[in-house]
Amino acid sequence: MNSLLLVILILLAGAVLSFLANRIMPILSGVMSFLSIGAAAVIFFVQVSAADSMAIPISGFSLHWGINAYSWLFGAMVLGLSVFVALYAIAFMKGKDRLGYFFFNFNLTIMAMMGIVFSTDWVSLFIFWEIMTWSSFLIIIYAGISEGRVGTKYMIFSAIGGYAMFMAILVSNSLLGSFQIADLVSGFGTLSLGNQALIGILFMVAFGVKSAVMPLHVWAPRAYADSPMAFTAIFSGLLSKMGIFGMGILMISVFAQGTIGQTFIFSNILAWLGAVTSVIATFYALIQKDAKRLLAYSSIAQLGYIIVGLAIGTPLSIMAALFLAVVHAIFKGTLFMVVGAVERQAGTTNMEELGALIRKMPWTFMAALFSIIALAGVPPLGGFVGKWMLYESLITSGFGANYFLVIMVFLSSTAAFLYSYRFLFGLFLGQEEPEFDHVKEAPAIMVVPMVVLALLLLVIGAFPGLLFEPIANAMAYMGVDVNWNMTVLSNVWGDEVHMEPLWTSILVMFVIGATFLTFKTRRNTRYVTTKDIHTSGEIPEAHENMTFSVNFYQPFERAIEPVMKRKMDTYYNRIGEGLESLFGFARKIYTGNGQTYAIYVIIFLSILILIGETIFNK
Amino acid sequence: MPNDKNSQKIVDMITGFARSNSLFMLAYGTGCGDIEIPPAMTSRYDWERFGYRKMATPRQADVLLISGYLATKTLKRVIRSYEQMQEPKYVIGFGSCTINGGMYWDSYNTINMLDHYIPVDVYINGCMPRPEAVMSGLFELQEMIKRGDANGAQKYRENLEWYRANQKKIIKNWKMPDYNW
Amino acid sequence: MDEFWMKIIGFVATVLLAFVVGAVYGGLVRKIIARTQNRIGPPWYQNFIDILKLYSKSSAINHGFMQHIAPAMAITASVTVLMFVPVLTGDGWFPWFENLNFKGDLIFLVYMMVFGSLGMALGIGQTGNPNAAIGVSRGLSMMVGYEIPFVMALVALMVQTETTSITGLMEYQDQHGWLMFSSPFAFIAAVMAMLGMFHYGPFDVAFAPSELASGPPSEFGGKYLALMMTSGSIFAFAKLVLFVDIFMNGASNLIILVIKTLVLYMIPVLYGAVSPRYRTEQAIRYFWGWPTFFGALAIIFAIYY
Repeated sequence: MNSLLLVILILLAGAVLSFLANRIMPILSGVMSFLSIGAAAVIFFVQVSAADSMAIPISGFSLHWGINAYSWLFGAMVLGLSVFVALYAIAFMKGKDRLGYFFFNFNLTIMAMMGIVFSTDWVSLFIFWEIMTWSSFLIIIYAGISEGRVGTKYMIFSAIGGYAMFMAILVSNSLLGSFQIADLVSGFGTLSLGNQALIGILFMVAFGVKSAVMPLHVWAPRAYADSPMAFTAIFSGLLSKMGIFGMGILMISVFAQGTIGQTFIFSNILAWLGAVTSVIATFYALIQKDAKRLLAYSSIAQLGYIIVGLAIGTPLSIMAALFLAVVHAIFKGTLFMVVGAVERQAGTTNMEELGALIRKMPWTFMAALFSIIALAGVPPLGGFVGKWMLYESLITSGFGANYFLVIMVFLSSTAAFLYSYRFLFGLFLGQEEPEFDHVKEAPAIMVVPMVVLALLLLVIGAFPGLLFEPIANAMAYMGVDVNWNMTVLSNVWGDEVHMEPLWTSILVMFVIGATFLTFKTRRNTRYVTTKDIHTSGEIPEAHENMTFSVNFYQPFERAIEPVMKRKMDTYYNRIGEGLESLFGFARKIYTGNGQTYAIYVIIFLSILILIGETIFNK
Repeated sequence: MPNDKNSQKIVDMITGFARSNSLFMLAYGTGCGDIEIPPAMTSRYDWERFGYRKMATPRQADVLLISGYLATKTLKRVIRSYEQMQEPKYVIGFGSCTINGGMYWDSYNTINMLDHYIPVDVYINGCMPRPEAVMSGLFELQEMIKRGDANGAQKYRENLEWYRANQKKIIKNWKMPDYNW
Repeated sequence: MDEFWMKIIGFVATVLLAFVVGAVYGGLVRKIIARTQNRIGPPWYQNFIDILKLYSKSSAINHGFMQHIAPAMAITASVTVLMFVPVLTGDGWFPWFENLNFKGDLIFLVYMMVFGSLGMALGIGQTGNPNAAIGVSRGLSMMVGYEIPFVMALVALMVQTETTSITGLMEYQDQHGWLMFSSPFAFIAAVMAMLGMFHYGPFDVAFAPSELASGPPSEFGGKYLALMMTSGSIFAFAKLVLFVDIFMNGASNLIILVIKTLVLYMIPVLYGAVSPRYRTEQAIRYFWGWPTFFGALAIIFAIYY
């Protein structure tokens, strides 16, 4: 059997089996899901090769599937992370109800993502896109309808995106006569400028919704925060990357063929949208109280960088974008798993209540620490490599506006230190409270995936070439050649950062410092509790909470106050109000009175009789 | 090692020099004597010349400066601050009140002899002692550190039970965390 | 093998030099601030005594693992930054101080500088001291303030010289003169950002001793504080050398290096000695006002240079 079909079928079978297994024994449901994803991953990594392709004929028309270096990169990302998340989900979902429902949709989402990656024509991509939307929607409403109508918001925006994509597909088909992605790439240059812009913008709206670009992002924070964390790791880590996947196809290969690619407007507007998205989302992230929301906004901000990288379109920036996409999937997946573990063990994710879990959940803290270091882009972990390439590509791009773009990106990533610290401080550091004395480390089955992914970030930081290789292959497939080296980062001006001496220096100094601190006056170094602090001699009671965690960044909030006044939500609400009054008017027409309808019919017929002659006799 | 004693001597000399010439002070300024500290710090007498410096928290400080009388209520805080300091640590009793109660000798809510509650290395006599007297007390402490005599912390550790008993006599609702060296 | 040992000796020599010069500068700063307040001030070697005293403390406490290793993270960052900054140029002593100069660039250094503060912030967070956490919140917020004009200045320099490495910038200056003069707006923006970077007044609200009980380091004593102060001395020197390298074409021998760094260091010190304290949001607005304006001007200047 064709290995592509096999992957999809295994995932689909896993979905069905895990739904059925719930009847027998709830825990079996998660195990089935994990096994099927694991099997699919094994097949994908062992069997699938670039030559694989297949066609499924459906009534005179066929769906084409195939795989190339670019889609292999995304497929590897999806299945690689999903395996860990599925393992984590077994323990995370244990004891919750409707497990069959959850794991059915969980598997279906992953299947749909693999389908998107495998599709080589727009129709099958669209079909899988809609499956992905629906299954993820069903998981968002898993906990019931929340007060913010999160699911509805997500559905509305996804529908807008879906229709936009559908229209774009139909337009391109009517102009080019083909649904193949490859045909759009080759034929795009022959289209008129207006059609290029139309197709481009429609596709961008479609992919922009999923990757939460600025005006289309309002669904994301709540949707990420409200779904079960085991799924949010997929949702934020991978599902949003499907938007990036589509954008990558468009930005790297399609637009490069057309005239739009060269024009200033399109790519630069998108780049600025990405940068503004990342700045505003970062500002929102650092005023959040809830760790989940913080991470949700942070996801939007991080996707902003990726979009900047794709939009700039130099080889280094595309490489940076794809690198960040993979690294973001890893660290954000890990962070959402961390929050899930905290939520499961401590019962809340409110950073104003929680604190000092570090001694109770040390492994979780370690995973969180490495992921946060990668998120903040501090050397020497993987996140730094991507950030560095992004900055260097902007600085070396030789285009005036990009120099200010780099400042925007820098503002966003510096402010990201603030929420990075807030996250670690709010959950793991601060005063120990008796309220959370009962908290234990999460079960091993949850800890192992987190720690393995965190260590993966270390490895990527030390040997970024491991990731450069598939990325460079993907870019070579898309027609962009790029040089890479296992441990040396370099830009087009020939300036380099060597990871090897950096790691040596950091490790040597850290070992020296830590050894010194450990062995100097070792016998007289004692551990004291967090109640034993300088409080001007006052002795705090056990229940007195002295952690400073409410309004943590108030001075910063005051400084950025003018920016925070406007919210995208209000604009959409106004549009909604406008539409409501429009429908109110329509309501006046539909009075519900049979007599009125009879008059409408008579008026309609008389108009038809009067002008029908001219219409139908053409 | 044959010259182990000598090398120890050299190390002692160096640490004694460093410790005596860099006194980080935690001024416990609830008593009226604290008004004499600002002149000693500022341009008139400028004690930073000798390496003295005010520190904000007991963790960083070497010297606890008790400036004047101690009410029974504040004693608890003093003990707490003293125990939070890192060794080697020294205490300076400042003014007559810390020696024998001074003008508050028969007051119902002040303690009379500070030495019964925490080990005092140097007393500075006077009510109020002028900044010159403060400085001379600090010089005395420096000399003691160089000689290795300023071992109040050791005394406290050795006679902890006695000190605790005295402290508990004053502080009725004893809720202090256990002291672990 | 010989080369390897030469390198190791070079590392150690650089770190020692940085520590000695940094600590002497620290003592001089205290002296200068004392003179501005009409005091005599401590001797210039006071910081060595303080650090030696702190190393000789015989007991220490910590609130857990993160606090225990936080100073190690700080010194790791300081030394690593120092290793990537060219200390001396030209022949003569140069091979001794070459270290890792050609292995990193400016963007990397900007990020590496944060490593230490973030590591320290984690250790500080674990102490659970509310004053310390407030200090961290203020310090990080202010960091966002001054990093923006600083990076604008760096971007302007990089655009103007078409290189992002420090050695590249210095080669450019060999041919075209000091960047301080050929890119004046970038220099102004960077110096104004430097005021915040050294945490002297009016930007010392994060470490305010009287209102926050010295803020972040309030739970650190003994060996921990000693390592922090050592790391601080090294870091101050590394930052100064970085500024001298990118704006004044480095220094070919130690005396010139000391003169240049000292002159540059006097700007934040003297400005701080006579300034009252800004609140955090005032400080952030300060940095996003004129310094950012000059930074933007510098970038525009660099584009049309």
